[in-house]
Amino acid sequence: MPKYTTLSQVQQAIRSGAESCESLVQYYLGRIEASRALNAYVEVYAEEALARARELDAQYREKPEAAGRLHGMVLSHKDVICYKDHRVSAGSKILEGFTSLFTATALERLLAEGAILIGRTNCDEFAMGSTNETSYFGPVKNAADPTKVPGGSSGGSAVAVQADTCLASLGSDTGGSVRQPAAFCGVVGFKPTYGRISRYGLLAYGSSFDQIGPLTHSVEDAALLLEIMAGPDEYDSTASSREVPAYSRQLDFGGKARLAYFNTALEHPSLDPGIRQACDGLIGRLRAEGHTVEGVDFEYLDYIIPAYYVLTTAEASSNLSRYDGIRYGYRSPDAGNLMSTYKRSRTEGFGTEAKRRIMLGTFVLSAGYYDAYYAKAQKVRRLIRGKTEAIFKSYDFILMPAAPGPAWNLGEKMDEPVAMYLADIFTVQANMAGIPALALPVGAHPGGLPVGLQFMAPKFEEGKLLAFGRYLEALLPGSA
Amino acid sequence: MPYDKYETVIGLEIHVQLATRSKAFCGDDASFGGEPNTYISPISLGHPGTLPRLNKKQVEYAVRLGLALGSRINLTSTFDRKNYFYADLPKGYQITQDRQPICVGGQLNIRVGEEQKIVRIHHIHMEEDAGKSMHDAEGPYSLIDLNRAGVPLLEIVSEPDLRSAEEVDAYMSAMRQLVRYLGISDGNMEQGSLRCDCNVSIRPKGSETLGQRCEIKNLNSMRYARRAIEYEVRRQAVLIESGGRVEQQTLNFDPATGITAPLRDKEDAHDYRYFPEPDLPPVVLEPGYVEEVRRNLPALPWEVYDRLTEEFGLPAYDAGLLSEERPTAIFFLELAQHTANFKAAANLIINKVIPYCNERGMEITAFPVSHGQLAAFIRLIDEGKVANAAAYQHIFPVLAESPNRPPLDIAQSLNLIQTSDEGLLEKLVEEVLANNPDEVERYRKGKKGLIGFFMGEVMKASQGQADPKVVNGLLRGKLG
Repeated sequence: MPKYTTLSQVQQAIRSGAESCESLVQYYLGRIEASRALNAYVEVYAEEALARARELDAQYREKPEAAGRLHGMVLSHKDVICYKDHRVSAGSKILEGFTSLFTATALERLLAEGAILIGRTNCDEFAMGSTNETSYFGPVKNAADPTKVPGGSSGGSAVAVQADTCLASLGSDTGGSVRQPAAFCGVVGFKPTYGRISRYGLLAYGSSFDQIGPLTHSVEDAALLLEIMAGPDEYDSTASSREVPAYSRQLDFGGKARLAYFNTALEHPSLDPGIRQACDGLIGRLRAEGHTVEGVDFEYLDYIIPAYYVLTTAEASSNLSRYDGIRYGYRSPDAGNLMSTYKRSRTEGFGTEAKRRIMLGTFVLSAGYYDAYYAKAQKVRRLIRGKTEAIFKSYDFILMPAAPGPAWNLGEKMDEPVAMYLADIFTVQANMAGIPALALPVGAHPGGLPVGLQFMAPKFEEGKLLAFGRYLEALLPGSA
Repeated sequence: MPYDKYETVIGLEIHVQLATRSKAFCGDDASFGGEPNTYISPISLGHPGTLPRLNKKQVEYAVRLGLALGSRINLTSTFDRKNYFYADLPKGYQITQDRQPICVGGQLNIRVGEEQKIVRIHHIHMEEDAGKSMHDAEGPYSLIDLNRAGVPLLEIVSEPDLRSAEEVDAYMSAMRQLVRYLGISDGNMEQGSLRCDCNVSIRPKGSETLGQRCEIKNLNSMRYARRAIEYEVRRQAVLIESGGRVEQQTLNFDPATGITAPLRDKEDAHDYRYFPEPDLPPVVLEPGYVEEVRRNLPALPWEVYDRLTEEFGLPAYDAGLLSEERPTAIFFLELAQHTANFKAAANLIINKVIPYCNERGMEITAFPVSHGQLAAFIRLIDEGKVANAAAYQHIFPVLAESPNRPPLDIAQSLNLIQTSDEGLLEKLVEEVLANNPDEVERYRKGKKGLIGFFMGEVMKASQGQADPKVVNGLLRGKLG
């Protein structure tokens, strides 16, 4: 069990004098050391975190009322989120030696409220993967069972929280990269509405899908982190200017909810019986509490994955063009001219999965293929968005598994990229539609691994969704 | 070679560098001529995690040009990515508008000799410039300057309405004049603010179908454009006449040799894989915004020209010269408020003020003499106090150096006031006639041209101060 599961517990301990920022950092550094084998971190900011903790402690002693809202929050961030004067490598060799010149807007806002950054977490290369096995820095292992994958692509972040090496971690979610590893590791993973949090400083994978999201032990902390990170940013034109509600103070869910689930999802051939059982159990429980839970038809489920991979690989092929060995990052020592600099640096710098997606994306955008693939996938995306919005006319939330099964074995699917892609079937819809989605741990699989389920809400309804999530935490003891 | 059986068909893509203070998608300085790689930032360097944000001035300038050319302004326009690798393209793609450009249609009227001609505009779109590559400057290396990377451009694509190098010249001159009038670009071709790609084809006269075209890239001077087109037309005609076929190619013009040659095949075979730019939302303009830009449009070159010929009665030649540059036209219009002799005002500006400024590399707006003073100068001539030639030759230079000295005062101190005292002049005339009896006789026998000789003698005797009109009258009276 983690020492603290919410920031409010931490702050209580600080107020009582039982804890300080420094002792917290010491504690988490000890935990990091103890769980080295899990490979959750690619870099630990030990000295820096301690120095900052001492500074924050001094300020707190001086003027406790001036402490930031995140005072005592020890945080890690995925290796795709920029932190000024620190390395960022997206789990790739191609960014070898690269140091960011600025801090991501989301991170900047958390730091301004007193968060302490303890390290940079491992992830799939350029967030491309569902197991954290495509990282140049090696796979991350699931703390619940080190022979199992932690999920991906934010596997390092999920394990960092799961193994109690930090209170929360920032991940990114393009097709489930926060929610699926959260489910595999038994932590809370939240993907906000597209545009709710600025993407400035997030290394782009699929720009029209990417969204930063927190991994935490509790919904309460997810709400607080979101509240602080969200909002317009002059450096990201796709960040919404919509007002940011005080999510952390609106966590009481009253009344009865209307939930939909997809018959096609619960009856999907890929769905593991243990997960199905968890869904059925939750549905029964919710009904018993007086909520409405109904199955609806959603005939597009099997189109989601193909359309998603066409669109994201297209965007990725362009987003990853800048890694060319010319201005920064890895340059092949054997490069002799411009063309060989490109070819060798990219061949040697990118891993197999990144190359696969670059080639896929290049193909679907090529002259003569654009209409058959990209344009068609865009149409599918519009249909899915429209159908999803239509469901929300009658329901508050959609209930969905976060993954077809619990965490699988390390190495199990590495040779089957299509099988790996298909495992994203339940998480991708939220990114296709740009809606918020919350993955919550709901218990254990018969084999003992964590099981997480997912709840989606209409765009910008994260307030309602988080409140319902907190309600579920209370309803399902032992989930958090 | 019977070239004249062919008609030349040319369409132009003009790239106009906009005179905005900052770049198209970030706050970097957009000026020309800084130390290499100083007007840069993580955004223009394409660092990981950076995003573009649209410069509003670029949009305003595009709308301004569109309205001046009578284009339809798309109230919703979108950005696309054009993907290709090059060392001076930091992101690996250029942000441009491919599918929904900001302005569609429109036309520009040009004058070629005595003829007027309409050149139709296909569309105008916004995009960003690439950096500058300098090859062979430093041994085997190429040098890259990224100051220009991200500088805003408008690309103006014409219909294939031009029929000769001369028309291209006229069209480019008119476009250059227009963008300068609109204040959206300095139109400086030497610095690359105005560059063009020419699509050239030929067809038998009378034919309505277009021949196969070749594109000549990156012509950055009107002289080069002219030479390149003339060369290319000849090349195509020779090819066809000798039984060959023109193939669609992208050509480079080498000013040193004066010939066009195909770019390497690889560069020619670019598949740019355009797709919608996910980082920039559509540009949505309110109709009221467009109207406001329209209200604030300055008088356009052709409107000024018409005003000069119609309202001020100036000859076409004068109106053309005075309306070429907006500041010159303004200078005239202001001077015209101080004098009623518009023709004299035009002459003075064309023959004295413009050359004076040109010699000193001075803007006409910096010309030191006030309009009131110049009007007084004109009055001096109109009232017969000083001969035109004397005023231009002797008074103007002094006035320009002592802008506040009254012109009359200068004339007096230079002894240039004409004598119109008939008594005195009559005496001089009589003396001259008495001293030249032979000429008088020859005059009376019909050699009327000798009147000039007598004039000269009288002027000499008066030391140049005689009013020629009065002398002329006296001479004719006495000679009968």
